[in-house]
Amino acid sequence: MPDSAMPDWSDVPKWLMPRPTHEDREFWEGAGRNELRIQHCSSCGRHQHYARMLCSHCGKQTLAWVTASGEGTVYSFTVIRQNGVPPFNERIPFVVATVDLDEDGARLIAAMPMLDPAEARIGMRVRAAFRRAGDQLGFVDFVAAE
Amino acid sequence: MQQRVCIVGVGLSDGPVTPELSGVMLEAQSFRRALDDAGLEKDDISGLASAGYGGMHEVALAEYLGLAPRWLESSSVGGSSFEFHALHAYRAIQNGDVDTVAIVYGNNQLSASGRTLGTGGGGGGGRGGMALPLPMAYEFPTGLTLVGAYAMAAQRHMYEYGTKPEQLASIAVQTREHAGRNPRAMYRDPITVADVMSSRLVADPLHKLDCCVISDGGCCVIMTTEERARSLPHRPVYVRGGAGGTTHHSIAAMPDMTRTAAAVSGPRAFAEAGITPTDVDVFAMYDSFTYTVLVVLEDLGFAPKGEGGAFITDNGGNLRLGGALPTNTDGGGLSCTHPGMRGLFLLCEATRQLRGEAGDSQVAGAEIAVAHGSGGWLSTQGTVVLGTEGA
Repeated sequence: MPDSAMPDWSDVPKWLMPRPTHEDREFWEGAGRNELRIQHCSSCGRHQHYARMLCSHCGKQTLAWVTASGEGTVYSFTVIRQNGVPPFNERIPFVVATVDLDEDGARLIAAMPMLDPAEARIGMRVRAAFRRAGDQLGFVDFVAAE
Repeated sequence: MQQRVCIVGVGLSDGPVTPELSGVMLEAQSFRRALDDAGLEKDDISGLASAGYGGMHEVALAEYLGLAPRWLESSSVGGSSFEFHALHAYRAIQNGDVDTVAIVYGNNQLSASGRTLGTGGGGGGGRGGMALPLPMAYEFPTGLTLVGAYAMAAQRHMYEYGTKPEQLASIAVQTREHAGRNPRAMYRDPITVADVMSSRLVADPLHKLDCCVISDGGCCVIMTTEERARSLPHRPVYVRGGAGGTTHHSIAAMPDMTRTAAAVSGPRAFAEAGITPTDVDVFAMYDSFTYTVLVVLEDLGFAPKGEGGAFITDNGGNLRLGGALPTNTDGGGLSCTHPGMRGLFLLCEATRQLRGEAGDSQVAGAEIAVAHGSGGWLSTQGTVVLGTEGA
């Protein structure tokens, strides 16, 4: 549960709002209803994030949207301690992680706003947490799984 | 028959802080100085290569300089663009498509934009009403910065191989030692590993002193045939081989954050040049961050994968003069100059070393130099091997 001492990321400035396209609308709208939507390739069986016309693993045009489990493992992370851009300059320090989803082939960069930077570890298990961006859309953050 | 190809002129603009000069003025100044260095005039230039931050940059530059080149090159792959330019010019001159090429770059980034490049957000993504190019649209709202992207890669290397922040810091310390001998360098006072470690953490594990400077500056390198080079004033520096490649654009798509495309470009370039890593006397390496040096040094085979940290600190510091691999003898991006993109300055310093013109930072008897550019988010890697005539 959110700790009142943790920074508030709920305010999304207009210029940070997602601008969905035909190609990626499903991702942003999925996050708006608390689902992590990624693409699955029926030819090679692997997954990818972000949305593309072709499978980046095998090159086939055999992709379909699926809802990921939201579970993953931190491949790497950093603690952002300097960012000159509002509102991030008011949120520092915060963790940004590269997460390998349990769905093979899909990796994404996500903020971990609720994680104490001192607790961040490579290999830690994490799960998706969703943050609203307006009425219909959302961002995908991650939180520690336990 | 293929021509051998030489670097015959190099020019550096004023720097590292030039509020009175625009980017194109810095380009023009370095172009003029390279012509003078080469003993050429502008009408001798039949090919032009450049990269900026907008389209048709090299065309606008040709007009500004009063050139009508019949060979144009504008690979724009980040800071390593200029290694790609040199490589493509090398092939074109080799094959007789073009005779004499000027590669030019200039930027007044410090004076125009201040010191915000690495932490301005978005890893280079846009602001305001700009649509963000994929995949930056996903990364920008996380608060990730350019420095943060490199930091994640460094963190992974530390995790897999036990690399220490102090070993990264030593790169900055040894580079500063070189800068101390260069009156043109932005920062020249000696620093210690403790100084780096106690400088502000920007994005863990990278400290302020693990990051390159932001400066103004311009550079020009002129390449031509061996035949023409023989009639020009300086001892020609020969292009011996080169290769480039990419593995990803955004850091999230980097398949293995401890291995770059240099692991492919390096061996190909070295094979063409007929050398092994131990033959290299001078290394001009794109040091955007200390980690960039470490990972590429391993990828090029100067140290086995995972042992770069020990290599850097062994022998009292292998990147120093007298070390196994004197690196960035002008003070590098970490201490000397980094005007947005640094790739061309690497070719310039490598050439000065092989001519024996590097002054107090001269590597005695240098015959083989490697200039290696890394662009984007460790995304694009370009290796160019240079040598003296007899090497």
